[in-house]
Amino acid sequence: MKNYANNPTIDSGVKRNIPIKSKRKKNRYIENIQKHWMLYLMILPGLIYYIIFKYIPLLGSVIAFQDYQILNGIMNSPWVGLENFYHLLNYQDFHEVLRNTALIALYQLIFQFPAPIIFALLFNEIRLMIAKKTIQSLFYLPHFLSWVIVGGIVFELLSTEGVINAFREILGYEPILFMQEKEYFRTIVVFSGIWKEVGWGTIIYLAAITAINPSLYEAAVIDGANRWKQTIHITLPLLFPTILILFLLNIGNFLELGFDQIFNLLTPMTYSVGDIIETYVYRAGILQGQYSLTTAIGLFQSVIGFALLWIFNRLARKTGQGLW
Amino acid sequence: MKKSYLLLILLIMSMLVIAVACDDNKTDGNNDSNSESNQTEGNEEESDEPVVVKVFKSHLGKGTIPESDDPHVQKVMEATGIEYQLITTPPGSDPAEYINLIMAEQDLPDILRPIGGVEQTLISQGGALALDELLPKYAPHVWEQIPEEAWKIVRTASDDGKIYYVPKVFMIPERSPLLRKDWLDNIGMDMPETTEEYKEMLVAFRDEDPNGNGVQDELPTSGREFGRWMDHLFAMFGVAMWEGYPEWDIYNGDINYAGTTENMKASIEFIRELYQEGLLDNETFLNKGDVWAAKIDNGLVGSWYHLPANLNDNLIIMREHSPDVEISGMSLPKADGFDGYITQKSMGEPEWMIPKTAEENAINALKLLDFYYDPANSEFIQYGIEDVQHEVVNGEKQLIPATDETPIALGMLNFTTQETMDLRIENSFEDEDQQMIKDIFKTATKDSRRIAGDGMPISVYEGYPDIQSHKLFQEYMTNIVIGEWELERFDEFVERWKEAGGDEITKRAQEWYAQTE
Amino acid sequence: MRMSIGERCFQVFNYSFLIIAAATMIAPLLQLLAVSFSSPVAADAKKVFLLPVDFTVDTWVHILQNDVLWRSFFVTVFITVVGTFLSMLFSVLTAFPLSRKDFLLRKPIMFAIVITMIFNAPMIPFFLTVREVGLMDSVWALIIPGLISTFNMVIIRTFFMGIPSDLDDAAKIDGCNEFGLLFRIYLPLSKPVLATIGLFYAVGLWNTFKTAVLFVRNPDLWPLQMRLRSFFVSEEQLSTVDLLVGDYDFNTTTLKAATIIFATIPIVIVYPYLQKYFVKGAVLGSLKE
Repeated sequence: MKNYANNPTIDSGVKRNIPIKSKRKKNRYIENIQKHWMLYLMILPGLIYYIIFKYIPLLGSVIAFQDYQILNGIMNSPWVGLENFYHLLNYQDFHEVLRNTALIALYQLIFQFPAPIIFALLFNEIRLMIAKKTIQSLFYLPHFLSWVIVGGIVFELLSTEGVINAFREILGYEPILFMQEKEYFRTIVVFSGIWKEVGWGTIIYLAAITAINPSLYEAAVIDGANRWKQTIHITLPLLFPTILILFLLNIGNFLELGFDQIFNLLTPMTYSVGDIIETYVYRAGILQGQYSLTTAIGLFQSVIGFALLWIFNRLARKTGQGLW
Repeated sequence: MKKSYLLLILLIMSMLVIAVACDDNKTDGNNDSNSESNQTEGNEEESDEPVVVKVFKSHLGKGTIPESDDPHVQKVMEATGIEYQLITTPPGSDPAEYINLIMAEQDLPDILRPIGGVEQTLISQGGALALDELLPKYAPHVWEQIPEEAWKIVRTASDDGKIYYVPKVFMIPERSPLLRKDWLDNIGMDMPETTEEYKEMLVAFRDEDPNGNGVQDELPTSGREFGRWMDHLFAMFGVAMWEGYPEWDIYNGDINYAGTTENMKASIEFIRELYQEGLLDNETFLNKGDVWAAKIDNGLVGSWYHLPANLNDNLIIMREHSPDVEISGMSLPKADGFDGYITQKSMGEPEWMIPKTAEENAINALKLLDFYYDPANSEFIQYGIEDVQHEVVNGEKQLIPATDETPIALGMLNFTTQETMDLRIENSFEDEDQQMIKDIFKTATKDSRRIAGDGMPISVYEGYPDIQSHKLFQEYMTNIVIGEWELERFDEFVERWKEAGGDEITKRAQEWYAQTE
Repeated sequence: MRMSIGERCFQVFNYSFLIIAAATMIAPLLQLLAVSFSSPVAADAKKVFLLPVDFTVDTWVHILQNDVLWRSFFVTVFITVVGTFLSMLFSVLTAFPLSRKDFLLRKPIMFAIVITMIFNAPMIPFFLTVREVGLMDSVWALIIPGLISTFNMVIIRTFFMGIPSDLDDAAKIDGCNEFGLLFRIYLPLSKPVLATIGLFYAVGLWNTFKTAVLFVRNPDLWPLQMRLRSFFVSEEQLSTVDLLVGDYDFNTTTLKAATIIFATIPIVIVYPYLQKYFVKGAVLGSLKE
């Protein structure tokens, strides 16, 4: 906003304040439209899309404040104010569920978010082109397996017959039933998440790395920089905008961990560490017609996500890289 | 150059418009055909146009949706004058969610088979048609065949005491404790009669290599994740249990949740012992369905709980490695101080209901339903049409297995008795296995009884998802059994369950039960 | 190029680590492949491990001869090709103005769009909106409601913003207007990111399932992922005793494995092909900084 005020294109000769301000603005926008009408034309289809398929359905979120009756529709359902939110906050295990969600989200942020960056850099160190491409292609395969399948694989790998316990047996240790031990749950979530999605996640960073001008590296080599220094001083700084944007895109959905993964790894023995908001929503949804409650929970998650994004976007803007 | 890009944009926009417009036409077309069929349904004139009844049913099994010229559809139309139009859920969808969608778009069928609690949504939001007067008139066979007791339970599912759905009736137990009789013979033991003997048997299963492969790989008894499909261990102590979900039955003089009873505590104590001694598969709570089935199929499990009518698949694989496999039903061993029984739910579960929006066509829908319940049609209902659904071999009718490409023949009868089950066994098992399966049912029937909570509407749980989903129960039960938590924490569970809404639900359940008496 | 000892050690570690990790990632698919070529009995008994047991091609014959499966295959190919093209076009057209400093509404529009990424519409209102637009039961219902992925659009925008603005001036001197700038300067420079986002869209469209369940009732228009699930018969189906046909055939383990392979291979093959676009580009940091 401050920028607008300082815009030099505005005629500063006019005296009266309030009407002028609006007039000024108007002029500015009209001028901008006239000058860059093509940009406005370009964005028009996208805007129409967002209005029809995002904003209009989003209005339906009002059912969070209703006792939504599916047969009667939004118009004829009774309003209940904040009752659905009270219901959520009064839920016996609300704190446990929220804590588990936030902790797992944090672990994912610390371990799972940087993993593709590290792997993209590792891929980048492979000189043999054919090996590089093959390994990349193989890494990208698990993304196509559903969590039902990956969950099944994890359970079998960690069973008494599984690889890990076979290894323990060779070393003379007792087998551990990892999936029912609380202390392993979050580790398993993070590891399986990395395994499944890391290859997919690297794609974007690899694209960014290949866009880096090779002459920068050539110059660095002349300066005597080894690969490590090149990575630290050229690749990473140039990847930073991509990393930052992906971070911002992720942080808004901080509390949405991915229902499928947790649901397929969770057992009753690990509820106390692994029961998250989304699994609670699933249970709450078992009773039919609970759309109001589940929408209210969704709004709760979104508001927190929005607050986080707001904060981090402000920080990011200081580097000139914010989302807006 | 400028123009070419503008053109491109315009092209895209117009494509969109056309796409939308086309679909408008399409839906219009649909509407037209709908209104046409509505007119004919209204019987304005006596015309040759058939009356169409849209039937919604999920979980159909293999096959395609029959067209109106399908022989089975035609045959039913000849008999009833009604053409059924089968509608089902798209593959991979959650059926309950799908019904919610068609409720939201006000596009309900003429008759539907509710699932996942949808019946309560329809009833409570005024979307279900009361059938009290229509049933005796237009579906007399349905009305008479279903026992009075079942109708009584159906009436308790709504506030106004009316009949809003036709219940499913299952007069015999579907589930049974199963035992490897050949293992029992191998170790030279008799059927266990008490829980002590049962435990001794499991010990022998563990130690004496009953499967004869020279490796101690036996899992004397096993269950599935969430404590599902191990009901036999709970049943011995008189716990009402349905595939691992505690049910409602009479405890301490009134209807109560079996999950919080002394019986439950005693059974958990017993199961905990079995677990500690390696008699209960230590991976029970980690066994996904396919893993559990593979353990049974590979001859590792001696005692389990499942649907005897499904044993065929297991038998085929079991015979690969142990040709002499013999499975027997196990009478519940007696636990000291408890009366064991197998939980049976026979009636009251919703099977068919008619939405209010289909009121005009309700008579036809009921006539169609009545056709299936008419004993005179039972041959046809069972076997369908020759060379389509069955073939005659040596003078006996044999069903032709369905494939992905064969049209589905609609079934609407869900009324299982001893006779229909025998017929089903005869149709699906090899001759030499039939007696074995029938014997299992006989044993199970002896031990089973209907629980007091049979047919209790799920609306009693409203507002308490963690109790409805048995989350609290499962968390405590599994943690205690694996030895992670002390048995004493069961009392803590009971307290937390009550606080979490258990008291309120119990009150509702008891009010409901008072109505049924 | 000479390598120091440290670098050599790193290379050895890097190769072995990545190769081992890559092996774990292809193993599940090899396992599924082995299951799909095994007998149902062996598969259900979990006897198959990476190599087929009782080798048979029955399952594959069953799948490849299935006409409706092929029809669904082509539905999916159609929505993937057409949908990726349309999605790319819309995303690029939206991303470009949002990357321009001289577009005055850049910030408010960007903000409004990011909001939709965090606040998701509830399912029923979304369903009813798409229905009102008139997209029910058409292939467009599988393409249009998800036309722009905000995530993908923002990535493209970020990339555009990284393109040095010196190029703009050069283009302006050449007499390019803004469309020309986008299509003649920016897009050719953005091949790596366009290939990446194109892949993201294509994979998403190939795996179309949830929107299909919502919007497509006509089996002729079922995409592959939905058709595949129609082969998975669940145990719950035993609930009704009707005609007893087929209720007992649960040997779908091999079928499941084969269908997963069948549905995955075509899209997996796309990636190596796209990799060639990842070596061109050379934009970031070229003139800037």
